[in-house]
Amino acid sequence: MRSGFFKETIVEHIHLTDSRLQRAWILIGLAVLLTAPLWLNFYGLSLVTLMMITAIGAIGLNILTGWTGLISLGQTAFMVLGAYAYAISTETWGWPPLLGFALAGIVPMLASVLIGIPSLRLTGLYLAITTLASSFIVNHLVLEFDGLTNGSSGIFVNRPVIFGYAFNSDASLFYLVAGFGILAILLSLNLRRSRVGRAFFAIRDNDNAARVMGINLSAWKIYAFMVSSFVVGICGALYGIFLSFVTVDGFPFLLSIEALAILIVGGIGSIAGAVLGAIFLVGLPELLGMVFSFFGPEVQSLLATSAHEVKGVLYGLIIIFFLRLQPHGLMGLWSDLKRAWTIWPLRY
Amino acid sequence: MTILKGLLAAALLAAPAGAALANQGITDKEILLGEIEPLTGPPGLLGVAHNLGARLAVAEANAEGGIAGRQLRLIAEDDGYVNSRTIQGVRKLIHSDKVFALTSLSGSGQAIAALSVVEQSGIPTMISIGPVPQLFEPPRDNVFVVGQTYTEGMRQLALHLAKAHPDKRWGVILQDDDYGKALAEGLKQARNDVKLNIAYEATYARNQRDFASEMLGVKDKEVEVLIAGGIISENIAMVKEAERLGISPVIATFWPGRVPEVLKAIGPASDGLLSVDYVMPLQSAGGIAFLEKATKYLSPEEVARVNRYTMSGYSSTATLIAAIKACEADLTWACTIKALETNPAMDTGVMAPISFAGGSRFSNSPVHILRADAATASYSLVE
Amino acid sequence: MTYFLDLISSGLAIGAVYGLIAMSFAIIYKSTGLLNFAQGEMAMIIAYVAWSISVRVEGNPFIVAAGSIGFAILFALIVERIAIRPMMGEPILSQIMVTIGLSVIFRSAVVLILDGLPHNMAVASGNALVDLGGVRLRVAQIAVVGCLFLAILAMWLFFRGSRFGVAMRAVAADEATARLMGVNIGRIQMAAWGAAAVMSGAAGVLFAIAYELSPALFHLGLKAFPAAILGGLDSIIGSAFGGIVIGITENLVGGYISSGLKEIAGFVIIILILMIRPYGLFGQKRIERL
Repeated sequence: MRSGFFKETIVEHIHLTDSRLQRAWILIGLAVLLTAPLWLNFYGLSLVTLMMITAIGAIGLNILTGWTGLISLGQTAFMVLGAYAYAISTETWGWPPLLGFALAGIVPMLASVLIGIPSLRLTGLYLAITTLASSFIVNHLVLEFDGLTNGSSGIFVNRPVIFGYAFNSDASLFYLVAGFGILAILLSLNLRRSRVGRAFFAIRDNDNAARVMGINLSAWKIYAFMVSSFVVGICGALYGIFLSFVTVDGFPFLLSIEALAILIVGGIGSIAGAVLGAIFLVGLPELLGMVFSFFGPEVQSLLATSAHEVKGVLYGLIIIFFLRLQPHGLMGLWSDLKRAWTIWPLRY
Repeated sequence: MTILKGLLAAALLAAPAGAALANQGITDKEILLGEIEPLTGPPGLLGVAHNLGARLAVAEANAEGGIAGRQLRLIAEDDGYVNSRTIQGVRKLIHSDKVFALTSLSGSGQAIAALSVVEQSGIPTMISIGPVPQLFEPPRDNVFVVGQTYTEGMRQLALHLAKAHPDKRWGVILQDDDYGKALAEGLKQARNDVKLNIAYEATYARNQRDFASEMLGVKDKEVEVLIAGGIISENIAMVKEAERLGISPVIATFWPGRVPEVLKAIGPASDGLLSVDYVMPLQSAGGIAFLEKATKYLSPEEVARVNRYTMSGYSSTATLIAAIKACEADLTWACTIKALETNPAMDTGVMAPISFAGGSRFSNSPVHILRADAATASYSLVE
Repeated sequence: MTYFLDLISSGLAIGAVYGLIAMSFAIIYKSTGLLNFAQGEMAMIIAYVAWSISVRVEGNPFIVAAGSIGFAILFALIVERIAIRPMMGEPILSQIMVTIGLSVIFRSAVVLILDGLPHNMAVASGNALVDLGGVRLRVAQIAVVGCLFLAILAMWLFFRGSRFGVAMRAVAADEATARLMGVNIGRIQMAAWGAAAVMSGAAGVLFAIAYELSPALFHLGLKAFPAAILGGLDSIIGSAFGGIVIGITENLVGGYISSGLKEIAGFVIIILILMIRPYGLFGQKRIERL
């Protein structure tokens, strides 16, 4: 009987995949994902696209919050910066989209240095506070510099044309987003197993011990913040393309809260958790809609007028529920299930 | 890997083109209509009212026997005034619920964001909550905008104020978004015709609650005519601050906040507040007839929530239903769009007759000036 | 000159509202190290409940005051017991996320249970105008300034004199030692939440009377946040001062520079203060020893 899965060497530990079975599952997962446009309808496809965009943002935030243990409430701000960097460079200046995506990562990255320098010298909640402030300041700046950003009127974003291929249809946008999603996952998986990732973990687990090991705390915190903001900026650009229109209204502050909620629901610190959390929270309204429709037309019409509020309450309840009863999120639930399956009928 | 590539290519080729939907949403028994708007919270003040108007038009058409034996049914989606949810909701209505036509695309920002989805699909769409130029310039074949632009409303209001209160010192407080910009543009156009002495100007950030410093500026510059360019809460705050500071300029507001709840929230200080609108007040002859109709088809609680958005929503939906009716024999999008263009002007009694003749996609409804009465929390026409 | 005085007095009135909510942030932070992101939402709910009471008793100020204080305490205790207490000892991110979850629930609940529409809140003569040497203010605005000073005095006496206040200070200074001395942390937390709800509730209700009652009232929490940072998150009286500074700064910025900047003035102050004096004007510098 298999009693567990043990890794004996550091090489085994840092391998991306550890068994044939796992590689097979990854291939099956990829095949399902890549054939999705064949069997999903329009609406389902755009829902999955939105899930993937949200997951990219969550993967980015996970580097900062999950690995380095720093709370950011500025997800919205970096998404706005990324989206505008992409929209201005490709639409106004006519840059090729790939350069636009690069800028969409670099601008938030530079902003994170600016925000990070005053706040990351300190321990505690200060990053949460400055990022909260920065999301309001960024919105104001976008509206103030309307010569560049077109102010409140926003900028229309066309679908990108990369190497002569126009990503016009919903299916091609899906593949573009899927490509970025896979890149983000690979980037963050590789970061995690490198010296950099281990430094982040060390800071999260015990900053004093990390410093003793020779990690320059403020520098490495800023590195984490920069990498995280880069990925979040790309997420913002993709979101802008998805909406086909970039304004500050398109990025409500709630997105920052949603991103943190995704990490908690998925399982903080885990990449798969970030993806699962995004799928769960973006899909939740649809799931609720289906549940409501089971109760017949009366309940449905009663709830139709206040569906948003019902969802809001449930959304908050789910966050609190996970924090209290399942702090390791869906990933924790999954590993509990796996263990139960392996050692059944024993209890431990 | 080649298998994957093959799948990828197949998927790209198989991506459906969105054209073959032209008569979706029609069964033997019913025709499905859809709309999206904020149905909750403060923006729900307008969304719910619009929804009531659309439902009223649908109920009326159904009571008259429907369309070629089919009953109309309306599905409403709530977007909470959030752009991404509008886009998702519109996609759901078009591709999942498969409605035949859309009767609302939520507010102006949301409609602009969702426009490309709507345009690609080709579904007949009426927009009546936030009629802004970006929605009908250039005209999109399937998108019809009912109402008047804020710019033209501001221009008419300024001309009226300049005539009624000549040689006064003006104050202008605007919001820092496209709504505020449209008003500023209207004011600029009015200045081509009349000379205005604008003594105080301020642009506030959205969600601002405390208007003390703005109104102190109004007091300091001895403003006699004030353009209050807020929507709901902002106008309430501005008028109440004016009351506190003991100043009483002529205050003019716009239609987005022309709902009784605002007058009630302001209290007695709302007396004499001016407004501009292309929809008739509830106390006019057309408004009274409209309320009677509403009482017939809606519940008493719903009638209590009727306001100007109910009237504009009713008018635009009734225009659409008339066009669908004209296509009884050929229930397709193309015929409906053609009928919207060629039908005689639709007169609902609560707005000037609506027509889209001459290839225009904008009803260009004329506006009139209204004055508020605090005691009854209502507006009446000024002439 | 009157323009300047008017700006200062308006700033003082709104600053007192921020100050009361900032004190609520500070008292919870000081006693449990937790930032309550739902404070503004709690003020909003209490204001809506006060409005529901006021329409039933024709604006009798005593019943409204007693009813809303009673509700505020009950509400805070329930929230603390159900949602916050079980999270004691969990990582700070989890605790903060619980308050963020609460804020989402409250915002939706106010629309679901109450109507969530803007209202005119008429309580006795709260809306009446008083002329103070050329500066006109509403009774509720004067009342909120009064409440702030009352709260400052009460806090000062409480932390100086009462056994419970000393225990609270002990918890703030060193939780583990305080526990060993027999201080009941649960009760300290309950007291902090109750006091915070009463202070922010008073701010919310008086704001609703003097300005406007709408679900957007929770934004006051965001405005009070910079105030608490400016004063020092662990200094309750400093936070009150921070509120007044932010209120006056906003009005001066709005009056002399630009309206648009007014809304973010507080957030710019946060960034500046964290660069210069991260623990706030009156906060205690934290010295870590290994």
